[in-house]
Amino acid sequence: MLRRRRTPDPVAIALLGSALLAALALWHVPWRQGLVRPRTLYDNSSARAVAPVYALLTAAAIGIPQGASVVVRAEPPDAMMETWYHRFAVALLPGRRALPSAFYGAFTAPELWRDAEYLVVVGPKPRPEPGRLLLETPDGTVWLRSQH
Amino acid sequence: MAGLTWLAAFVLLPAVGAPLLAHRAYGRLPSTSRAVMAAGAGAAFISLAMTLFTLAGARWEIAPIAAAAALLAWGSRFFLRGEAAKAAPETARADAAESFANAIAGIAVLAALGATLGGAATSSDLVFFWGAKAQQFAAARGVDTAFLREAAHQYMHAYYPPLVVNLFAFATMAAGRFVWTSAALTFALALGALAAGLPGLLRGRLSGRAAAATSALVVATLACIGSQADVAGNADMPLLLFETLAMAMLLRPDCAGASGDLLTGILFCAAASAKVEGLPFVLAASAIALVVRGGTLAERWKAALRLLAPTALSLAAWFAFGVSRQLFTDYSEYGRFFDIHAEHGPGIAAAILRALTDTGRGLPYVVPLLCMIGAGRLGRMAIIPLGTAAALAGFLVFTYLHHANDPAQWIAWSAARVFAPVAMLFALAPHAPATPSEETRRGAGGSPR
Repeated sequence: MLRRRRTPDPVAIALLGSALLAALALWHVPWRQGLVRPRTLYDNSSARAVAPVYALLTAAAIGIPQGASVVVRAEPPDAMMETWYHRFAVALLPGRRALPSAFYGAFTAPELWRDAEYLVVVGPKPRPEPGRLLLETPDGTVWLRSQH
Repeated sequence: MAGLTWLAAFVLLPAVGAPLLAHRAYGRLPSTSRAVMAAGAGAAFISLAMTLFTLAGARWEIAPIAAAAALLAWGSRFFLRGEAAKAAPETARADAAESFANAIAGIAVLAALGATLGGAATSSDLVFFWGAKAQQFAAARGVDTAFLREAAHQYMHAYYPPLVVNLFAFATMAAGRFVWTSAALTFALALGALAAGLPGLLRGRLSGRAAAATSALVVATLACIGSQADVAGNADMPLLLFETLAMAMLLRPDCAGASGDLLTGILFCAAASAKVEGLPFVLAASAIALVVRGGTLAERWKAALRLLAPTALSLAAWFAFGVSRQLFTDYSEYGRFFDIHAEHGPGIAAAILRALTDTGRGLPYVVPLLCMIGAGRLGRMAIIPLGTAAALAGFLVFTYLHHANDPAQWIAWSAARVFAPVAMLFALAPHAPATPSEETRRGAGGSPR
């Protein structure tokens, strides 16, 4: 007797595949933090290295007036990180003049940024102190530079 | 409050697209799909209106932009003269499989929402340029050429297509300020829109359960890739939304003809205006569809015009702006055209494979492929999504080959995202009909009998 060849049901296959991928998407949700909102949009992303500068600049935005010039440095200095920090300053400090201390992974000439009125330092407090401390958070410090 | 207002601005999109989608020819689409398609068309029209405003040196203001965009939508109806009214689709009670599929799609959208709110899916490009430009342009009430020209802002990619920045700037003007969390939530918002609109679009030929299952597969695939490749707040999800809706329209036999092709063309316009790689998608899908559908040369020319004219108009306006302000003349930064570095070929293949397997262990790409293979013999029209996938993959590899230095790091950043449409096309391919229906072929000429 001939047996009819069984073909898989495309609907069942698609449902199985979609259930698997939805489960995988759910697995990516950071459940461990519960319903607590993360500090920044980047805390659990693959770009979590920039979470401190995001948090610090968001907090610093209140104290840095419109039109002021600002430079964001890493402590210890790091050309790659400072490249990203400058980009974050442009976005998160609108209306201020963000000066780059690094560009595409290379330090810029200090003449470009050393007259900045405000200095944001991501990481430990710099020594010697570069001016008047305006804000200190676990992510870093914000300074009004002493020459101003 | 500003965050809610920022997102609420997107409610204007379906309202702007409504004058076109209210045409009787679109009566064949279920109301939810019609609203989502109206939002897609509205996005294209608002972006085009903003580009034309800035090209003309006029300041961006919400009401004139929305009015001009709605006027463009209404004016598009001119191309639908003689299109007959189409009956509304019959509504059938969802069976268990359809309900299960809808639940999976809903869970996938919630997962995208949870990942975004949990800070696990945000794109760094949101801060680097999509959001930064939108915020600046909203403040300047137009594309700020001085800002883009600054040497320190070279990384902003002045030539990038304008749609996503325009829409973000539109929402920023409505809310009074840029809201970063709301911008990131556009990932879940666009995915939710896709989950709502796609089943009704696919139901044209398939049963309700098959349409819902295919839609759930697409939505879960994109939720998975989007969360793991960090697309929240960048242009990838809007691009995927427009591409998926356009491809679903293209595969729907009863949606060819003037009305279907025009709407597909407007969604193509949105895709090509969202990201650089939207353009090869549009060109490949249109060319393959025109060949596969058949028809006389005159019919194909008319269909080509409907499919491609909106894209040509939008990009012409954008490049006219770039050239007139001496800001950009082409899509640059990818190296000299045809200056291929073939020595990077093996490394590029390995880097792409590594990037894809690092994203959910490669499952969001492999599962749709396996589902397509498991679905059995594909319809002839599956050439459209599969040919488009091949063309897009070829374009991406071709682009990577132009990089003078080792592009491994660039691929690690981008491949998981830019190959996402390929996975979506695998998921849609089993849905393609065996032959272009009689209506499709007649529709190529846009002259209903």
